[in-house]
Amino acid sequence: MTRFFALLGQRIRRDWVQVLLWAGGTGLLAYASYVGVADAYGTEQDRTSLLAAALANPVILLFRGLPSGTGQGAFMVFLIFPWLAMLAAFMSTFLAVRHTRGDEEPGRAELISATPASRTLPFIATATHGLLANLLLGALTAGAFLAVGLDVEGSLLAGAAVGAVGVTFLGVGLVAAQLMRTSRGANSLAVWTLLITFLLSGMGNAIGTPSDDLTRMESSWLTWLSPFGWGENTRAFDENLWWPAVLCLAVGILLTVISAVLVSARDLGGSFIAERAARADASAALSTPTGLVWRLTRGAVIGWTVGGLLVGILSTSLASIVQEIGAANPSVEQILRQISGEGSVEQGTVTTFFTMLGVLAACAAVQVVCRARQEEAHGTAEPLLAAPVGRVRWLADYLVVALLAIVLVVAAAVGGAAIGIASQDGDMDLMRTVLVTGAGQVAAASVFLALTALVFVLFPRLTIPVGWTLVVLGMMLGLFGPLFQFPDWLVHLSPIAVTPLLDGDDIDVRGLWWLLLATGAGAVASLGLMRRRELEAGG
Amino acid sequence: MSTVIRTSGLTKHYGRVHALDGLDLTVDEGQIHGFLGPNGAGKSTTIRVLLGLARKTGGEASVFGQDPWRDAVTLHRRIAYVPGDVSVWPNLSGGEAIDLMARLRGAARHDPAYVAQKQRLIEAFQFDPRKKGRAYSKGNRQKVALIAAFAVPADLYILDEPTSGLDPLMEVMFRHEIARVRAAGATVLLSSHILSEVEQLCDRVSIIRSGRIAEAGTLTELRHLTRTEVSFQGTDAAAIAGIPGAHDVVVEEGRIKFTVDSDAVTSTLPALAARDAAGLRIAPASLEELFLRHYGDELAEMDGNGR
Repeated sequence: MTRFFALLGQRIRRDWVQVLLWAGGTGLLAYASYVGVADAYGTEQDRTSLLAAALANPVILLFRGLPSGTGQGAFMVFLIFPWLAMLAAFMSTFLAVRHTRGDEEPGRAELISATPASRTLPFIATATHGLLANLLLGALTAGAFLAVGLDVEGSLLAGAAVGAVGVTFLGVGLVAAQLMRTSRGANSLAVWTLLITFLLSGMGNAIGTPSDDLTRMESSWLTWLSPFGWGENTRAFDENLWWPAVLCLAVGILLTVISAVLVSARDLGGSFIAERAARADASAALSTPTGLVWRLTRGAVIGWTVGGLLVGILSTSLASIVQEIGAANPSVEQILRQISGEGSVEQGTVTTFFTMLGVLAACAAVQVVCRARQEEAHGTAEPLLAAPVGRVRWLADYLVVALLAIVLVVAAAVGGAAIGIASQDGDMDLMRTVLVTGAGQVAAASVFLALTALVFVLFPRLTIPVGWTLVVLGMMLGLFGPLFQFPDWLVHLSPIAVTPLLDGDDIDVRGLWWLLLATGAGAVASLGLMRRRELEAGG
Repeated sequence: MSTVIRTSGLTKHYGRVHALDGLDLTVDEGQIHGFLGPNGAGKSTTIRVLLGLARKTGGEASVFGQDPWRDAVTLHRRIAYVPGDVSVWPNLSGGEAIDLMARLRGAARHDPAYVAQKQRLIEAFQFDPRKKGRAYSKGNRQKVALIAAFAVPADLYILDEPTSGLDPLMEVMFRHEIARVRAAGATVLLSSHILSEVEQLCDRVSIIRSGRIAEAGTLTELRHLTRTEVSFQGTDAAAIAGIPGAHDVVVEEGRIKFTVDSDAVTSTLPALAARDAAGLRIAPASLEELFLRHYGDELAEMDGNGR
């Protein structure tokens, strides 16, 4: 038992700040969303009309939970539950991979496995650590709901459901770590599983059966393929069903047991999905520093580009559906017009989707710039800078590839939007909106690129945390700010919320010049300062 | 003969740590220059300054007469570098990493000279270029850097503990390569804490201690500062009596041992011949002993603390 507690203690010591941030952040988001909802949709009538609109609009349901009546608690859970569960899921998969494959790949696990702790005890410690982290996250979420005065059973169930979804994904992460040879491979397998099941649950809700008074939805079978769907079907503050949360827990534990079996069935360092054989000579593309940056980041860039394509297709194909629903039901159309800021319903839908596209493009760019920091910290920047490659040129390559990533993501979305319109026999005039908002989001995402580059030059060790925090902040303010009715000046701090819009036939540039100025200044400053910066390895 | 590397009063501070504290290092063209010191003495910091990876705090540093920080790109066209702790890209194969670094230093993709050289080195170092970087052991990562460095000709080779992690057979291959580039007229700065390696390869040696050069010169010059050990079979220390300049007499394992000043060895020979010394062995001071002269006090201190 001493050995077990030593291993568990080591995991907690290594992670406690991170776990506190994830769990605290989730609790805060729960608290803030309740406050926002109480503020914006304080009356039953507000909520009834929004729910009616949501039930009519697959776009909203894709990224929201399961409508379960107009009670304040249930309404708030509908708006925020999938995102709370997503935070728990991300925390859990990363945690699972970090302490299993993440330790195994660089050989740290070998040290531990050579002691009497062997291979199973570290695994059990990791699983326990993950359970404790989800317990904390669930407790803080429940605590946030209790703190705002919601009823006890609903609060406990909502918290438990969020934590239980986390436990399911702890299992997913543990299994992924057994299957893949590298922690990168394991993380991407787990994250793809997470994103696909997230969308499955949203799509399943969107095509579900609405109740006659348009305040509730019965999930379709698609939702039941997803742990997020199980969590949503607890219907906290409404029916308060506990068994779907238990289902999440049970599946999580089953997956954990499966991976425990896999641990004992393979060699340390081995995997069930083999690595491909590598080539002995570099291709012509790998002859320059730029070629190297592209080679190192292309996988991630392609992933984000596929995301952009999907967003593009959804934005216009769903817009056409929304248009039809609106035409059939004038009151719904009016609500949708309100949501989309007085433009046409279609334009509003495209704009909303492209705001999210801005976040995707920013993620792609930030990931590329963070790669520069990883190269520096892992010592692989050194052989390049010891070759005839200047410091400024070296960083500039990352900025160029990051910009290319943004353009690719947005271009894929524009292409997807055209496909979406064509598939619905829609009006190609909508492409004007697509092009203007798309181009605007290129500018918005570039701001994140330039700021992250500046952080990289000035405070190398903070590149990764600050870069991603900026993206999350930008997303929170730009995407959720309007929903929670934050003041305009606060929402407009987010680059993705001030991009040009089509106003009738004219283009309203809004904050475009500020975006370009910030990008230009950030890029010039970071490259200029790079001339004087030393390589800062480690950390 | 022209000077390739010259530093004078070179300092490098990391916060309050003085990694280099007035370092004077001179390496002439065509030299194999051993750069000796234990970990933490400042070897790698010096090399990082010479490569323009770190900026000097004060003093002078020049490589081929140019400023290593400002003219880094121009200088690096003439320099091959093997870092002490080689990192490779986890998802590039060894062959790809070698090609990339060689191309950055000017090798053309289908240049037959480069292709042949790479192939020869891969075979000489028994290296498998088809594995992904993350799968390589420390020794194999070292080989990636060595093959990339030796596959493209350079005027100056800066090697930071290049053989740590290589097995003895590979060390022999490494010495062959050094001999080859020396014959081609290149200059080599070889940082090491493996004394036998430096002893075998280097024309000149600089010993670094706490960020300064403690001693520099050819091995012969340095040896003059020390004593030579002489020993022969016997059990009676009295046999030594009358040998001029004999110090530190001990008898162990059936041998009588003593030391003499290195320039006084020949004067002891008649006396040894008169005693018909069997199993005579005369060992010049090893670099090890030279080294210990400079670090002996530190060792003593550590022993003291240990107790």
